[in-house]
Amino acid sequence: MTVDGHVNYYAVSLAIAVCSMLPFVLAFEGRKPQARELVVIAVMVAIIVVSRAAFFMLPHFKPAVAIVIIAGAALGAQSGFVCGALAAFVSNFLFGQGPWTPWQMLALGLIGCLSGLVFSGAARLRRPRPGLPGLPGLPGREEGAFASVRARKRAERLRTAALCAFGFLITFALYGLLLDTAAVAIFSSGIQGEALIATYAAGIPLNLVHAAGTAVFLAVFARPMIEKLERVRVKYGLYGGRAAGCRPYSGRGKPRPYGGR
Amino acid sequence: MALIEVRGLTFRYPEREQPALDGVSLSVERGAFVVLCGKSGCGKSTLLRHLRTALTPHGERSGEVRFDGRPLDGVGLREQAARIGFVQQSPDNQIVTDKVWHELAFGLESLGEPAPAIRRRVAEMASFFGIQEWYEKSVAELSGGQKQILALASVMAMQPDVLVLDEPTAQLDPIAAEDFIGTLAKIHDEIGTTVVLSEHRLEAALPRAGQAVVMSRGRVVCAGAPSGVGRRLHALGDPMLAAMPTPARVFFAAAEKKLDSATAAAGGLAQNDNGSIPLTVREGREWLGARAAECRPYNSQDPIGHETSVGAAFCRPQKTSAPPVVSLKDVWFRYDRAGRDVVRDLSLTLAAGEFLCVVGGNGTGKSTMLRILTGENRVWRGKVRVFVADPQKAGARGLAEAGLSALPQDPQTLFTRPTVFDNLIDVAAYHNKKAAPEEIEAEVRRVCALTEIEDLLAFHPYDVSGGEQQRIGLAMALLARPKILLLDEPTKGMDSFFKEKFSRILRRLTADGASVLMVSHDVEFCARHADRCALFFNGSVVSEGAPREFFSGNSFYTTAASRMSRGLIDGAVTAEDILDNLFAVATPSDTF
Amino acid sequence: MPPLQRAGQAPPLRWAVSMGNATQYSAFAGYHPLVNYLFFGYVVLVTALFPHPVFLAISFAAALGTSACLARRSMPKFGLLLAPPLMALAVVFNVCFTHRGVTILGYLPSGNPLTLESLLYGAASALMIGGVVLWCACYGAVMTSDKFLYLFGRVVPAMSLILSMALRFLPRYRAQAARIASARRGIGMGVSSPANPLAKLRAGGEILSVMVTWALENAIETSDSMRARGYGLPGRTAYANYRLDDRDRGLLVVFAVAITILLVLVFSRIVSVSYYPVFVMNAGGASPAPTVVWAAAYPVWRAVAYACHAAVCFLPLGLEVREDWIWRRARTGMLVDGAD
Repeated sequence: MTVDGHVNYYAVSLAIAVCSMLPFVLAFEGRKPQARELVVIAVMVAIIVVSRAAFFMLPHFKPAVAIVIIAGAALGAQSGFVCGALAAFVSNFLFGQGPWTPWQMLALGLIGCLSGLVFSGAARLRRPRPGLPGLPGLPGREEGAFASVRARKRAERLRTAALCAFGFLITFALYGLLLDTAAVAIFSSGIQGEALIATYAAGIPLNLVHAAGTAVFLAVFARPMIEKLERVRVKYGLYGGRAAGCRPYSGRGKPRPYGGR
Repeated sequence: MALIEVRGLTFRYPEREQPALDGVSLSVERGAFVVLCGKSGCGKSTLLRHLRTALTPHGERSGEVRFDGRPLDGVGLREQAARIGFVQQSPDNQIVTDKVWHELAFGLESLGEPAPAIRRRVAEMASFFGIQEWYEKSVAELSGGQKQILALASVMAMQPDVLVLDEPTAQLDPIAAEDFIGTLAKIHDEIGTTVVLSEHRLEAALPRAGQAVVMSRGRVVCAGAPSGVGRRLHALGDPMLAAMPTPARVFFAAAEKKLDSATAAAGGLAQNDNGSIPLTVREGREWLGARAAECRPYNSQDPIGHETSVGAAFCRPQKTSAPPVVSLKDVWFRYDRAGRDVVRDLSLTLAAGEFLCVVGGNGTGKSTMLRILTGENRVWRGKVRVFVADPQKAGARGLAEAGLSALPQDPQTLFTRPTVFDNLIDVAAYHNKKAAPEEIEAEVRRVCALTEIEDLLAFHPYDVSGGEQQRIGLAMALLARPKILLLDEPTKGMDSFFKEKFSRILRRLTADGASVLMVSHDVEFCARHADRCALFFNGSVVSEGAPREFFSGNSFYTTAASRMSRGLIDGAVTAEDILDNLFAVATPSDTF
Repeated sequence: MPPLQRAGQAPPLRWAVSMGNATQYSAFAGYHPLVNYLFFGYVVLVTALFPHPVFLAISFAAALGTSACLARRSMPKFGLLLAPPLMALAVVFNVCFTHRGVTILGYLPSGNPLTLESLLYGAASALMIGGVVLWCACYGAVMTSDKFLYLFGRVVPAMSLILSMALRFLPRYRAQAARIASARRGIGMGVSSPANPLAKLRAGGEILSVMVTWALENAIETSDSMRARGYGLPGRTAYANYRLDDRDRGLLVVFAVAITILLVLVFSRIVSVSYYPVFVMNAGGASPAPTVVWAAAYPVWRAVAYACHAAVCFLPLGLEVREDWIWRRARTGMLVDGAD
């Protein structure tokens, strides 16, 4: 992809973007996911795209990245990737395709995937999982193992705080910077340090606002949304059936049919 | 050999004491049209789900289900998908893809049919159902009735031997429901598919059924031809008799009354020669025509039913000088400047303590009118007053403080918390910001007692039935202590027992002085319980009046009893009216 | 057969161009999805990869024309609105940050030289980005979800189904968000107009929260509906409304020929460009040239290359114009030879 020995960064980065998505896609397809998994992912994709509509009173608020993080945390890395990538794709379907589509897909997909890798064990509160180095020890113990309600609440608060920090960083770094880098690759003839720095500098205020918005959203809504997804996972019997550690809502509700295999 | 046989099926959901199905035995012959009926929660849905292993719930099970002579567990998934079609209740939820043609082809794709075969079958089905007009469209552009027909066509494209339908018309308006049942009957007649259908709305389904099965608390109460089932229910005194179509109810109630000798000699009411009972309005008219003795035409001022005088008071012309709590005068509304007026020249008033029902077809503007009253839609012409405030100027908060509350059509739009109790506490806390927690809880308990949902408090709102969700929604609306309650289609999907409960709750409210404005398709409910009815058409009210004069004035948009007795007994609107008239002894009979 | 049908009227379903719920008709969209996809693949890749000024100019002009043509049928004009600022940005970027090149025109405030080469490359970059943006907008107009699913439904079946379901859910969810807001307002929990941002955030979050629960719970029925119709059984096929006919094959042949010629010419460097350190265009073919005659033919080859590229790029526009002409002729009755 050279033009007289001069590398065309657009083409190269486009190729990289597309190729990095391939392994995830192949892994997902190869798994032959069942109907219920697909439906849950489709629901989350639609929610991500429509989330802006719920905040119609706050026109510039874009909670898409936050919801991708939540989806990844609740559903796991692979599903998180698919949620993010398809959300970007569908979004562009509606609002217009552009040369930036592959990068948006890659960025959101990676965010979902990373969120899943870091948080999905903790979200399930199922088996113990060591926290990643540098992050607070994420509670991975069984529900009943918590010493008291206060200990559990403290663990949940820690998790929410970790999510917020993660959300802030990842929105700023991955989403903001990746897309800025893509912009530079598209516009200029090369990735020069100067161009990159100038773009990043120009983008900092916007990225900060976006990151702050994501963190705020996560702080307020992460826990309830993850709980809802957990309940649905249990009810649908996804990913290994009923999680032992899930808080039972009622013993005598009229249960919906779970359905056979 | 029967196509489907259920033998001694007992099923219990996990963590529940009562079995959902208790020794159910059922036999469905090839080519039969079976209607399953029973109160909500009797196990109809659970039973139907046992006819497909992919949909069978987890739990403890004993007994067996046989399909075509073999145990259902032994029938492969592919064969089951191809031969047993399943249609669910919600038209919106069961459609998977976004385009009509794709939905029609979905099942065939799953079965692995090659493209030419799919094309042929899809074309065939689309033509049979009359879908070719909207074959290219997006699903989002279809109405509820069309979506349900699409779901049916999509299943029929796989050419199943038996169609299982779980309350398919519960979410549809009466016209669409009639359409759907008619299409089912057409399939049954012209293709010969076996149909197993569970329904609340028996007026349309029962006459076409070859076999009716009544269930209660997980057991089959009786099964057989509809006439036989009706007689059996009558003999048992089963409350399900109240859910039968009006002509059948009149027949049985008449048979039950002590006949005076004159009527007995005149041919009696006890038996029809061939043992059949009237199920359709036409059959009812025939039966009535042969037996109506004297016709005592009803005074249009007579109250319907024999309940309290509260109802009676509103059938008299309004002499009160109190201003109406809601008034719309010459109101015009459209959604955007270039559009057509959805509400045109609408004038309507609502008095304090009155229960007003507004009936009318889809798309006539009834829901829009409700949104005008909550201030969400801004009228460009005309005067709207709620109490003395203009809803547009008062704002959401102002109207809530003034005492207006609206229950949405879909109560699921109100549920935010994982338990019913939390949802109610949330709303109560919002309305009583400065109150202590005990006061808030007391408030919630008051409303729960009023709406009879005390036993649902610990459940997740999505784990309860549709009728229960309506009552929970109503409770949330009542927490604002409204003086005006707006209801949008509250009786959708409710069985007749729930409807009676619901009417009791509304009556309690109006007795306390609140006014209720209800928008509904449910003509029977409005006739029985409203103080005043109005017909909405083309954006405005074209007629209104007390239920008796209103419904007896209509020949089409009226109750089954009215249609049944038109020309024979003037002014009869409910089944009780017909009964009162059947006997020369014109004393008010007991309600049954 | 009625004359109007003889005028080349294809079945309506293949002429639909849809975005969201709006449908417009366009000649090019009536062709097989493979043709559409290959076309857009070609134009975007060539525009992005090969910054030859003439090629870029041709591509940009074609993109502009096609966008304008589709836009007049009330397509969202976002491509036309977005392109100019991006193009200006591209020029600025290049001029400010690239200092290669030999011909110095002056000095920037930052002290770096402003070179002619960087200006030229900036202009080329502008045409490139403008072209790509416009082509992407046209792509969005022509490639509907149906076509996309047809092409990729067999390759990535699970993700295609997710896409289809998400597109089904989207309008429902949007409507539901409005209904939820309306319901909350009805029971007195709405947000009055002069509200602080925090209250609005909270209200929006509540709406979203209700919507998530509602969506997830109701989606159980959707997955049951899928399983009831046999989803998950092995051997699933993909049904499609599209058929590759002679018209499409003809276009594919045209593509193949044009692209082969272009590849040959580009790789033999008969058409080429280099911006740095000196701007050189079409430096020449193989060296040494076999014969003088061969060398003299280069301008001809270059013209051929330009013509091939133009032929491909202007194809949709040409098809549109031809269709207009046919319909106009039909209306004036020149094709009518029977009772109307």
